[in-house]
Amino acid sequence: MKVTNRRRSTLVLVLLAVAVLAAVTVAGMLLNSRAMETDFARKNLMPCLEFPFGTDWMGRDMLARTLAGLSLSIRIGLLTAAVSACIALAMGVVSATMGRWADRAVCFVIDLVMGIPHILLVMLISIACGKGFAGVVAGVALSHWTSLARVIRGEVMQLRQAPYILAAQKLGVRPWQIVRRHMLVHLLPQFLTGLILLFPHAILHEASVTFLGFGLSSEQPAIGVILSESMRYLTTGKWWLALFPGISLVIVVLLFALLGERLRLLLDPASAQE
Amino acid sequence: MQTKRIFSLMLAAAMAAGLLAGCGGQDTSAQATAEQTEAKDSVVIAMGPTSEPEAGFDPAYGWGAGEHVHEPLIQSTLTVTNTDLTIGYDLATSCEASEDGLTWTVTIRDDVKFTDGEPLTAEDVAFTYNTVKASSSVNDFTMLDYAEAVDDTTVVFHMAHAFSIWPYTMAIVGIVPEHAYDSATYGSNPIGSGRYILKQWDRGQQVILEANPDYYGEQPKMKQVTILFMEEDAAFLAAQAGQVDVAYTSATYSDQTIGGYTLTAYDSVDNRGINLPAAEPSVNADGVATGNAVTADIAVRRAINIGIDRQEMIDNVLNGYGTPAYSVCDQLPWYNPASEVEYDPEAATQILDEAGWVMGSDGVREKDGVRAELNLLYSNGDSVRQALAADLANQLGELGIQCTIEGVGWDTAYDRAQSTPLVWGWGAHTPMELYNIYYSPEDAGTAGYSPYSNDTVDQYMDEALACSDLEQSYELWQKAQWDGTTGVTQDGDIPWVWLVNVSHLYWVRDGLQVAEQKIHPHGHGWSIVNNVDQWSWA
Repeated sequence: MKVTNRRRSTLVLVLLAVAVLAAVTVAGMLLNSRAMETDFARKNLMPCLEFPFGTDWMGRDMLARTLAGLSLSIRIGLLTAAVSACIALAMGVVSATMGRWADRAVCFVIDLVMGIPHILLVMLISIACGKGFAGVVAGVALSHWTSLARVIRGEVMQLRQAPYILAAQKLGVRPWQIVRRHMLVHLLPQFLTGLILLFPHAILHEASVTFLGFGLSSEQPAIGVILSESMRYLTTGKWWLALFPGISLVIVVLLFALLGERLRLLLDPASAQE
Repeated sequence: MQTKRIFSLMLAAAMAAGLLAGCGGQDTSAQATAEQTEAKDSVVIAMGPTSEPEAGFDPAYGWGAGEHVHEPLIQSTLTVTNTDLTIGYDLATSCEASEDGLTWTVTIRDDVKFTDGEPLTAEDVAFTYNTVKASSSVNDFTMLDYAEAVDDTTVVFHMAHAFSIWPYTMAIVGIVPEHAYDSATYGSNPIGSGRYILKQWDRGQQVILEANPDYYGEQPKMKQVTILFMEEDAAFLAAQAGQVDVAYTSATYSDQTIGGYTLTAYDSVDNRGINLPAAEPSVNADGVATGNAVTADIAVRRAINIGIDRQEMIDNVLNGYGTPAYSVCDQLPWYNPASEVEYDPEAATQILDEAGWVMGSDGVREKDGVRAELNLLYSNGDSVRQALAADLANQLGELGIQCTIEGVGWDTAYDRAQSTPLVWGWGAHTPMELYNIYYSPEDAGTAGYSPYSNDTVDQYMDEALACSDLEQSYELWQKAQWDGTTGVTQDGDIPWVWLVNVSHLYWVRDGLQVAEQKIHPHGHGWSIVNNVDQWSWA
């Protein structure tokens, strides 16, 4: 009774990734106050049993700080990816169903946003929105929807020629009804995969915009803040300040990428039965 | 087979030995050249990238003046500040104010030439001051009406109002030549009469200064001064590699050692302090929230001033490289020693208890429904101010005042400081700073940076500025701080609490004799080279 087919192992992997990410998120939220706590009596400690990730120049526990930072990043990622994906869905559907002028307008906006270097756009929007949490969320959310919007637009274009849609049109079903009942259901796998694959981008961009000093303010336990602070201490040999938070960030991003990839395999009809 | 292997091993050993010897040889020769160049009269100094003057070496656009004052080196000034921060003469031979303080008459030496050979006359001095008044964006010249050259060696300053500390302003204004001044090009191609000539300026990299052979004073001992602009970690690595003779550094690096270099700390008045808005919450004419319900109570301000352990902050945040600060002008001639307080947590607790701030069950005091909670602001990205704010928050927590800290950008910090304590950095070589911080102009009714007003304090400062004698004005500045009954000290209104003076740290190559430094002002930059002409190699 050892049927470990790919579908099942994929499912296990997906559940595992979700569990780890959820655990990090919750742990980080619980540790938030501990991450802000400063105690100068224990500053600049090397990693030890009590502080596995060491402490920084104000005696803050780097493990708590890293977890709180990742948790913050994941929550920001969740929020921004959701907003981005919804914008992308709306734009994609509007572009493909509302006629040529709507399509042109949407494509123009997509090209416009894509034409500006990503990080620059995130920085600009973040500054315009007064930096901080709101600035970062707005910056990342408003700049990451373009490629998914393109994918969805293409998909809807294709769908419009599908026999069952044409049949529905001939039967006199109203356009919105078609979009709602026939298209959105079909788009769900692409949408979900796109949503999850937006995460790594969102998290990395949140971290980098904060790293550059245009995001969250420096007492916040955010990964970008932690990494930019640690740069100052690298030359004095305090390697643990950058190493562990950096590796943790990479792991979280990889987990999300894996999650998206596996989910696509599960949801995509072409590969779901392999 | 066996012999072949042995042979190859021997060959390898020989090659390795040769390689090592080669390296060793190179090393010694490198050292020799380094020593050769060291027995000389040039020095290489690493400063922070922000020390590079953006608008060049033009006194009208901030060279020497502004927030970070220092001697302009390339130009001469009328007066100079001595090591004890009293006034000495550079170009000037005498300097006198009229009885009403509205005119200053300065005579200058007649043997001074610009580096292009033209003599420096009173005309140039008058031209310089009228130019900086018209164009200076970084310094306040509203007290000057106009400058006028009476003859070749006498210049008269007509003041808009009495300004007794005018000699301190004269100490930072470099004199430019009227015949060769073009505001568009002067910054990158300055002509002066100072100790050094600008030889080369590679923007973003370095400045090379060369001794002025026709200098009227004592010839500079250092013939060539190279200033490199680099980040702190790069400066540290440059010192490690032996590429610089002096490198700026901070407490972060103070636990490191570099062979051949000594970590040297210079006392400064580069202070850090917090403002405690001394007014009840309200909204001013511009719609900015001012005042703070907690710090409006003088008991809270007094308790904070004596309830914080400044030495602990210095040890924690500055690795011991600093001095406790009790005023904005510690140890300067206009400093009033009455500002100093002892750390006394019991007395602080007592003050709060007596004022009715009752300790709650959660360790936070409360009075008439107001919880003793403060949000301490600091400028985002400044690790020293952030750590000071964090340490202060911990210490105030023990007194029953709960604090959070928040990083803010300077775009919003000034407005927010009107209602919230902010960690500031001050410290200039002029009493004007007291005026800027504590004086409340009549139209505004409150001091500029943080709500506060005391008519007696204002009056002393008005008198100090109107005073015709500089020595006498020091006394009035001191009285503005504390006159026995009122002032801005612990027993007075204490609208600002001063925390620490940050010592300026440098890696100095062994053998380099850095001449005695004045108390460094705010800004960790050009101050160190104020007297580079007197440095020498042992």
